[in-house]
Amino acid sequence: MAPVSLQSVSKVYANGVKAVDSVSLSIADGEFVVLVGPSGCGKSTTLRMIAGLEEISAGSLLVGGARMNDVPARNRNMAMVFQNYALYPHLDVRRNMAFGLERRRTHGSVIKAVLSPSYRAARAAEQQAIDTRVTAAAATLGIQSLLQRKPRELSGGQRQRVAVGRALVRDPVAFLFDEPLSNLDAKLRGEMRTELRLLHQRLRATMVYVTHDQEEAMSLADRLVVMKDGVVQQVGTPSEVYGHPANRFVAGFVGTPSMNFIQGSIEAAGVFRWGGGALQLPPTRWTGLSGWHGKPVELGIRPDQIRVGTGSCKGRVITVENYGDRMDVVIESGGRRITSRLPTASIREGSETTFEPMLDAAHLFDPSAAGATLA
Amino acid sequence: MARALGRFLQGLLAAGAVLLVGWAFVTVGARELGRLFSSDDRTEIVVMHWSGEGGQEEDAIVEAALQRFSAQNPAIRVRRINPGDAASFYTKLQTMMASGDPPDVFYVGSERIPSFVDLGLLLPLDDLLAADTQANVPDRLDLRGFFPSTVAAFRFDGEGSGRGALYGIPKDFTTVGFYWNKDLFARAGVQPPRDDWTWDDFIAAARQIGRLPDCTGAEFVTWPAMIRAYLMTDGLDIKGSSFETLRTGERAVFESLDRLRSWRHDERGALTSGKSKIASGSSVFLSGKVGMAGPFGRWVVPSYRKIPPPSQGGFAWDFAPMPRGTTSANIVLTVSWSISAQTAHPNESWRLVRFLAGEQTQRELATLGLAIPTIRSAAESPAFLDPTLPPENDAGYLRAAEIAQIVDWSPNPQFEALMGSRLDQGLKTADVPLPEAIANFERDWNAECTNPLKAAVLPAMPWKAIAIGSILLLAIGLCAWLLWLRSGSFTGREREEERAGYALASPWLIGFLLFMAFPVVMSLLLAFARWKGVSPLGQAAFTGFANFEQIFTADARFRTSIRVTLWYAVIAVPTGQLLALLAALLMNTKVRGIHLFRAAWYLPSVLAGVGVSVLWRWVFDSDHGLMNMALEPLLKPLGIMPPEWFGADAGLWGAPAFAIMSLWFIGGTMMVYLAGLQQVPADLLEAAAIDGAGPLRRFFSVTLPMLSPVILFNTIMAVISSFQVFTQSFVMTGGEPGDLTRFLVLYIFNQGFDFYEMGYASALAWILLVIVLSLTVVVLRTSNRWVHVEGGAK
Repeated sequence: MAPVSLQSVSKVYANGVKAVDSVSLSIADGEFVVLVGPSGCGKSTTLRMIAGLEEISAGSLLVGGARMNDVPARNRNMAMVFQNYALYPHLDVRRNMAFGLERRRTHGSVIKAVLSPSYRAARAAEQQAIDTRVTAAAATLGIQSLLQRKPRELSGGQRQRVAVGRALVRDPVAFLFDEPLSNLDAKLRGEMRTELRLLHQRLRATMVYVTHDQEEAMSLADRLVVMKDGVVQQVGTPSEVYGHPANRFVAGFVGTPSMNFIQGSIEAAGVFRWGGGALQLPPTRWTGLSGWHGKPVELGIRPDQIRVGTGSCKGRVITVENYGDRMDVVIESGGRRITSRLPTASIREGSETTFEPMLDAAHLFDPSAAGATLA
Repeated sequence: MARALGRFLQGLLAAGAVLLVGWAFVTVGARELGRLFSSDDRTEIVVMHWSGEGGQEEDAIVEAALQRFSAQNPAIRVRRINPGDAASFYTKLQTMMASGDPPDVFYVGSERIPSFVDLGLLLPLDDLLAADTQANVPDRLDLRGFFPSTVAAFRFDGEGSGRGALYGIPKDFTTVGFYWNKDLFARAGVQPPRDDWTWDDFIAAARQIGRLPDCTGAEFVTWPAMIRAYLMTDGLDIKGSSFETLRTGERAVFESLDRLRSWRHDERGALTSGKSKIASGSSVFLSGKVGMAGPFGRWVVPSYRKIPPPSQGGFAWDFAPMPRGTTSANIVLTVSWSISAQTAHPNESWRLVRFLAGEQTQRELATLGLAIPTIRSAAESPAFLDPTLPPENDAGYLRAAEIAQIVDWSPNPQFEALMGSRLDQGLKTADVPLPEAIANFERDWNAECTNPLKAAVLPAMPWKAIAIGSILLLAIGLCAWLLWLRSGSFTGREREEERAGYALASPWLIGFLLFMAFPVVMSLLLAFARWKGVSPLGQAAFTGFANFEQIFTADARFRTSIRVTLWYAVIAVPTGQLLALLAALLMNTKVRGIHLFRAAWYLPSVLAGVGVSVLWRWVFDSDHGLMNMALEPLLKPLGIMPPEWFGADAGLWGAPAFAIMSLWFIGGTMMVYLAGLQQVPADLLEAAAIDGAGPLRRFFSVTLPMLSPVILFNTIMAVISSFQVFTQSFVMTGGEPGDLTRFLVLYIFNQGFDFYEMGYASALAWILLVIVLSLTVVVLRTSNRWVHVEGGAK
């Protein structure tokens, strides 16, 4: 295991498209880092640059302190799990898992094995060791019974386990996962998530994981890296990213349902005025914003921070999604739709209601494209 | 907008295609119907001729003559067919004869008379001639006015030419000799040949001219007729009293042939080596670097007349008849107008022959310069003896005609074919010592003469029983099928769908039954028959398994053709696949202009077979070919000479040469591999890279297994096509020297279309099918060990 460090790494394609723009990131030894962002944000490209499958256009990749830019993928000793599993369809599960180990054995030559008995013995011992490791990895993942099967005889979940197993048998410097769960159904995805987390706890290996699913990212990561348009938006623990988003994009991307954004302006004395009326911000939220008085800002508030049936704001309930233990209510007010998540209550669609944002947890954003967090 | 335009164009094209096909059917239909219902009660005579070397001029002359004939004979309507050159003519004639609908009047070369008469295809003309004399017809033909040998050439008594009934009226003829380059003779200081020159004069002149820089003394073609003409000048021949008794064992014959071999192969510069496939035949003379070329007849004159005069960079030339050996001799080669034995209108046909072989038409044809009129008065007229055009020595042909003999041929066409290919191995390519070549000829011809199949008296093919049986079988099958359709397992709707499906597929089904299934069944039946492809099917005889017995127990040429074909397949299939795969790997890289490279690699695959074959004949030419010019500097330092691909080394290198040529056509295979390569999932290769596999390991461990279904497909296709080599060997070598490049399919063709053994050829074709089928099964059977198929079922 080794720390992985990206220093101003960029990827520019031949056609001039900049897929990754000066990404800097330090991944500690044994850390589980998740790259997350919408499709096209450069997260997969970043992972592939770490793996050596894409050339690095600019910047440096260091693994264990050594610069790896020009080291071919096969010599980087990383393990990777692909979205489509990428199992060798002509090999059975055992050979699939053993493939990487067989490539790295020191007594690989068949010719020498034929010529020299001692070499032959060493080769056999090595093969024995490979078999042992494969069997052990299979046991860890509960796929011992599948070792003789071909990939086409496996279900999606089983294939996923084999793909993980193939990474597991090796002793790589880092595990790389490229959206490994996106081809599974929701239930299986949830189960695999837990298993991956457990695996990480047991191995304490450096893992870099790419997903577009922020929930998956939050549930797995020691640290999240939120990316957009090839640029890192924020790096932090899931709580940091959720609680203190660096900008409007991160705030909107992380969390389910999405944060509510309300355009308005700040008046003197911390009053936020919008189409639905005026709201008094607590002092913690508006101190330091004197420069923004009278200017348009965007107020962001998470759905679970909006109470319904109380407060000064008025609106009409347009939809209610009842999940049994909780419900998401969409209220139309001042020409906006505001989502609230609350414990179950008797709220009817179409009814008029009042609501109240808990402004202690509100965020204020610059309404320009950058959307920097103001408070 | 663009889409609408596209659709419009698409529609327009489709409509155009439909109209074109419709028009083709309508015009043919209208013509045939018109003929059926026409009120024209004139007698229709079908005339067929060729106009190969004579070209459009000959075509026009015949057409004009027929118009004159029609004007004089209003009761006869003449329909003319001209398939082009002589080869197409004979193919069409044979097809028409086999179908029982031959033309009434047609050309026949004298060399074909024995076999055609043997097959009962020609009408004897003696009675018609006699009737004319009796009736004192004004334009009757007087054979006394013809050169006697030209008439004799069309007499055949069942055993030999020159005697018996008359089967054609010679329309023109030629004697043979050498065309000589006056300028080279002058430069070498050699006396011009006189009409009574000798072989000593000939070879002395050739040696003298051969000493001139970059010049060769003479081109001497070794065609069977010319070899016999050469022997005749020493009072010798290949055949004895009959074709069963050969004279090749006589010392004098051997010495005469060996003299020719020695001139060609023991000396340098006197004769062209004959090893070169290109530098042979009449066109060599055109180069201006060959002193003499022959023995050729008059037919080369139109092309030689195009040689510009010395003042314009060409040279002057003339003709000299065959030199004398111990005696003076020459041969006549002649073409007749003959009448089909099956004609319904013998008298009208004869009237037409009388007209076409008459003096006026002969004089007109003589102006082409291509041949000599057979009527003496026409030949001695200015129509032929034209002093304004070369050759000066027109009279030489006529003087030779006085002593010329006919070269008769056995009714069995294998005599000429065997003589040509076997003796050429000793005389021309010299890949076999002459005594051995002669012995091979004697052995193979004797085997042919004693072939039990030919001698056996066989019962007729029970066509009636077969027809009744087939109809019964068909009826039973149809009933069973209908019953099955009506059986309870189908709902009404399914039945309806089934019916609609068959209705939609019926054009193809009918086409398949007529054009595929029927010929396949017929060829299977014919494999158990002896049938001359040119006679009606009713004359086929039932042989049982005798064809197969002959093939497997006595046919050495079959075994040779199998050996040649296998030797080719062993080389062509693996190297072709390997190279196509390597090319596909190259074409799969991402470089600028890759589409151009792909197109360039694929291009040869779309080129036509014959043209390409001619091209490759140049490439493999032993004397001046590109291949040997490229190999020589590489091999010479090692003390090795590049092989004479289709010459002395053909036994080892002939088939490989064709295999090398086949590599030129790997474009199609490459495209299939390329498509396969592009289907290999990129993430598998990436996974392998991450697993530590280098490029080679990735190729062998991932790409190759993923490609295995494509490899299987391509291998099977390659195995099949390796057994179908025909065009190349037909065009480039004709199977020679000997049978060393005679592929199985070419041998089948020879048997069917050259020797008229269609039953035997059918048996061979079925053996070919079994071989190909078994090889395919073997490949398929082993495939589950090495072919990985995605998605489950194998």
